[in-house]
Amino acid sequence: MRTLRNPQFQFGFVVLALVLTWYVLFSFRPVVLGFKMAVTDYDLLNPADSKLVGLQHFETIFNKYKLFWVSVRNTITYAVMVNLGTVPIALVFAYCLAKVANGRSWYQWALFLPVVVSMAAVALLFRFLMDPGLGIFNHALKAAGLPPSRWLTGPRSAMYSIVIVALWKGLGGNIVILTAGLLNVPRELYDVAKVDGASSWKTFWYVTLPLLSHVLKLVMILVTIGSLQVYTSAMILTRGGPGRATYMISQFVVEEAFTHLRFGLASSSAFVLFLAILVITLMQLRLTRVGWEY
Amino acid sequence: MKRLTSQGITHLVLLIGAFLAVTPFVWMAFASVKTFTEVVSSRRLLPTVWTLQNYRDILSRVGFLRAFYNSALVAVPATVSVVFGSAAMGYVLAKYRFWGREVLFRVLLSTMMVPFTVVIIPLFLTMRDLELTNKLGGVLVTSLCSTFGIFLMRQTIESIPNDYIDAARIDGASEVWIFSQVIIPLSRSAIATLAVFIFLGNWDNYMWPSVLLKRPSQHTLPVVIAGMQSLFVERYHLWSAGSMLTVIPVMILFTLAQKQFMRGLALAGLKG
Repeated sequence: MRTLRNPQFQFGFVVLALVLTWYVLFSFRPVVLGFKMAVTDYDLLNPADSKLVGLQHFETIFNKYKLFWVSVRNTITYAVMVNLGTVPIALVFAYCLAKVANGRSWYQWALFLPVVVSMAAVALLFRFLMDPGLGIFNHALKAAGLPPSRWLTGPRSAMYSIVIVALWKGLGGNIVILTAGLLNVPRELYDVAKVDGASSWKTFWYVTLPLLSHVLKLVMILVTIGSLQVYTSAMILTRGGPGRATYMISQFVVEEAFTHLRFGLASSSAFVLFLAILVITLMQLRLTRVGWEY
Repeated sequence: MKRLTSQGITHLVLLIGAFLAVTPFVWMAFASVKTFTEVVSSRRLLPTVWTLQNYRDILSRVGFLRAFYNSALVAVPATVSVVFGSAAMGYVLAKYRFWGREVLFRVLLSTMMVPFTVVIIPLFLTMRDLELTNKLGGVLVTSLCSTFGIFLMRQTIESIPNDYIDAARIDGASEVWIFSQVIIPLSRSAIATLAVFIFLGNWDNYMWPSVLLKRPSQHTLPVVIAGMQSLFVERYHLWSAGSMLTVIPVMILFTLAQKQFMRGLALAGLKG
C-alpha cells in the first residue's frame, strides 16, 4: 500500500470534499427529508413543528385513494407493455445490425435518432401524427383497409398509443447496447456450432441468447426503471387522460405535491414507487440469474 | 448465394427500421413549411405552397430565442461541471487508495436507483430556502454532478496503467498536473461521450424545470414546447415549426458525435 504524499492528499481531499458536499446537499439530504415527509404531517409554514404520524400516509393512499391505485395499475401496465415490446424488437434489430456487412453506422444513426431528441418535441409530433381526424396514422390505417383508431383520445387506445411512442423513442438505445453485446460473443463459438451442423435458428437459441442473457437482463432492468418513472410523455401526450386512462404514479406525486400541497401523501407514494423499483430490480437480477457459463 | 439472400433480408429489416425511425421527422419537417389550411386539408407529404411564416410566427410570438438561451445557460455549465467533476472523482476513486473507497462508490451508485419523484419535493423546498425557485440557477445546481458520469470515468481511468502516474509522480509532477496532462488526455474519448450525453440530458430535461420555473421568462426549451399545445391548440403547423427548431441543433450535434455516443452506450452497457 502506497502512503499518501501531501500533494496527493490535498488533491484527493479537495475533490472528495466538493463532490460529497454536492451529494449530501442535493442527493442524500433530499432522500432523508423525503422520507421524513412521508412519515410526518408536514407543516408548510413551520416545518420544525411537523408531527410524526408513522405510516398513516401510506395507509391513506392505500385505503382511501382510488386514484393512487389507478396510477399504480396504469404504470405497471405501461411498464410491462414497454418491456414486452422492447426486448423482442430491439433483439431483432440488434441481430441484424451485428450481422450486416456494410452500412452499419448509417443504420445505427437512423435507429438512434429518436433517442436524442427531446421528449417534449416528440410528444407534440405524435399528437400531430396520431390526430384521429388529420393524422397520418389513421390515414395509413385507412389506406391498408383497416378501421381507424382514436389513438390518444380513446380510453382504450390511449395506453397503446403512449407505449408506441415510448417504443419509437426508446428502442435505439437498447438496440445499441444489445448490438455491442452480440458483437462481444466470441466468433469461435459460432464456428463450432457451424461445424456441428446447427441451423442458424438453433445457433441463435442455444449459443447467442444464453451468452447475451447478461446484457438482456441489463436492458430489461433499464427499461423497467425508466418506464416506472414515466412522466414527460404521458403529461404532454394525454395529461393522464382521457379520463384517467394514462394517469401515472409520477403525475400523481407531482399533482399531490404541487397542486394540492399534500407533501406527506406525495412523498409516501413516491417512496412506494422507489420500493417497487428496488424490489423489481432485485427480482429481475435474481430470477434471470444463469446458473452456468460457457 | 445463401449468404447473399441472408444479407438481403438483414438490409431489408434494417431499412424498414430506419424508415420508421426517420419518417416522422421528415413529415414534421415538411409540415413546418406548410400553411395551416394545407396541414388540415391535405395529406400529401410535400407542400403545394412553401412558407416560412410558421417560423416567423413562432419566433415572434413565443419566447423561443429566450428559451433557447435559457436552455443553453443550464446545459453548457452543467456539462462542463459534470465532465470535470466526474473525471476528477473518477480519478480519485480509481487510483487513490483510502479507507471506505469501495463502500463510498457503492453508495454513490445506489443513488441511481432513486426516482426523481422521491427528491422533487425536498429539492423544491431546498431551492426555496436558497431563493432559487423560478431561477435557472435552481435547475443548474441540481445538475452539477452525475453518478453515471462518475461511474463511466472511474471505469475508464481504471484502465490507465499505474506506471504513467507513478512516473509522473517520481518526476515531481503535482497531482493537478497529472490530472490535467495525463488523465484527461488519456480518457479523451470517454469525456467526449459523457459531454454529449450530459448536454443532451439537460437540453431535453422537462420534469424538474417545469416544476421549478413558473415565470415564462425563465422557461427552458422543453417547457416552452410543452406549453405550445395549450397556447396554440391543435395548430400542427406551428407545433411542427417549434419542434423542428428544438430538434435540429440536437440532430446536428448527434450526427457529429455519433461515434462517441454509441461507444459510450455500449461501454456503459457491457460494464454495467
